[in-house]
Amino acid sequence: MALLGDFGTSWTKLLDTESGERRILPTRKAREVRADIATGHNALHRAPRYVNELIALAQGGARLIRSPEFLLLDVGSRDVKYVHMRRGELVDMDWTATCGALTGFTLELLGRYYELDYAQLQPSDKAVPVTCGILGMEQLFELVSRGIPEAEAVARFARGIALNSHRFIGQPKQFHLSGGMCDNPLFLHSFPAEVEVVPVGRFALIEGLFEELERPQTPSKDGRPEGREMR
Amino acid sequence: MAERERKIGFVGCPPEEVLAPRRKHALIDLDNLIEGVPSRSESLLPGTTCRIIRRVLDNALALELDEIVVDEGLGKCDSARGLVEVLAGLLDVPIVRTRNDNREGAGTPICDSDLPLWQKMELILAHLVSPRPLDLKPSPRPRAAMWGVPAADFGIYRLFPDGTIVLGWTRCLENRTPDHWELEMYVPEGIPTVFFAQTFCPKNAVAQHLARKHRGLHVDVDGVLSQPVRAKIEAFLRFRKVWD
Repeated sequence: MALLGDFGTSWTKLLDTESGERRILPTRKAREVRADIATGHNALHRAPRYVNELIALAQGGARLIRSPEFLLLDVGSRDVKYVHMRRGELVDMDWTATCGALTGFTLELLGRYYELDYAQLQPSDKAVPVTCGILGMEQLFELVSRGIPEAEAVARFARGIALNSHRFIGQPKQFHLSGGMCDNPLFLHSFPAEVEVVPVGRFALIEGLFEELERPQTPSKDGRPEGREMR
Repeated sequence: MAERERKIGFVGCPPEEVLAPRRKHALIDLDNLIEGVPSRSESLLPGTTCRIIRRVLDNALALELDEIVVDEGLGKCDSARGLVEVLAGLLDVPIVRTRNDNREGAGTPICDSDLPLWQKMELILAHLVSPRPLDLKPSPRPRAAMWGVPAADFGIYRLFPDGTIVLGWTRCLENRTPDHWELEMYVPEGIPTVFFAQTFCPKNAVAQHLARKHRGLHVDVDGVLSQPVRAKIEAFLRFRKVWD
């Protein structure tokens, strides 16, 4: 039995491999939680074994998507990252914590602040230029001050994030999406109409930790420990 | 009467005939991190200046040098050449302007050795200040390569396996041929290679091009190695089977 943890910026996802139980709780309430294998922005000191998010994402994608080729985008609270794999080989990947920073977190904050139900909001065909969460929010407040309804301003913000993310991954016709934004219908419908977005849920990184359970933990012949963070 | 030991700073890779007679003095590579030097360059240089140029200025301002020797040749960038003018305007220190167009390679035994990558980088830089005979073994089957200039944060080098070969400008540096473009462009086929440049460095364009051409990974780092860049390198080495 093992507890796998994805300790994200805002949310912690946990999976008990024996019972199959999955839990999502705010990271601020998960300070005492210790897992056997961890990934995520706040994973340091949360487990004896750390797997970086890109490796977890690629391995999780392979388990969840089961296609010889996939492009998996993860939009989290704090950053945006993706992997493009073909027959188990890395084609491309990137991770940005600067451009696109805090966009997911900001969208969540805006929803609470304006008391919006993202399942009820209509997507907009206009976009706020969202270079990062803070600059995007500045633009959004500007729209509101000009009389644009709050729901429309937030929808433009969501479309700005979606278009930025889509450009970030090279504007493919189809891709898979993981992370907290999978639960946000407004965001899912804010991509260009011709683009097929396939959500795979919030546990993609956790799924990527299963492979680590089978990976030997003995040091490599170089003496470098495998699957561990070396901050 | 014995000559007073002078404190001489240098930038880049000046010609050997200029450096050699100065080795009897305290010779300081201004491109390198020197503990305790305060950062004053932020108010003096544009925000889009790379970390190494900033470091050179910080070191030159702090170290009370008797002389500065600079390589203004094609082995350095326009930022470095411009920095010489900044230094000349700010400091009352003699500046010796040189151009290293040497084509007689001194060899690259450190770059090709079986040592850990971080140790190679330290040796290459130390060797410039005080060369000494080295007994090195070549890396028998290098599993990875690292292309680029010396990084501001040496933590990046600890992500690679021992014997990772050194390419790019750092290879030119060991060879004492800093403007040897053909050598800088040399990339052996079949070895997973990370192409590194400082953020804001013009070498990023060619680093990205070479990464595409050789199925490598291009990264740029502004000072301290960030978690996304660290993760990209780790993932690249994992998925290219450098680490099993």
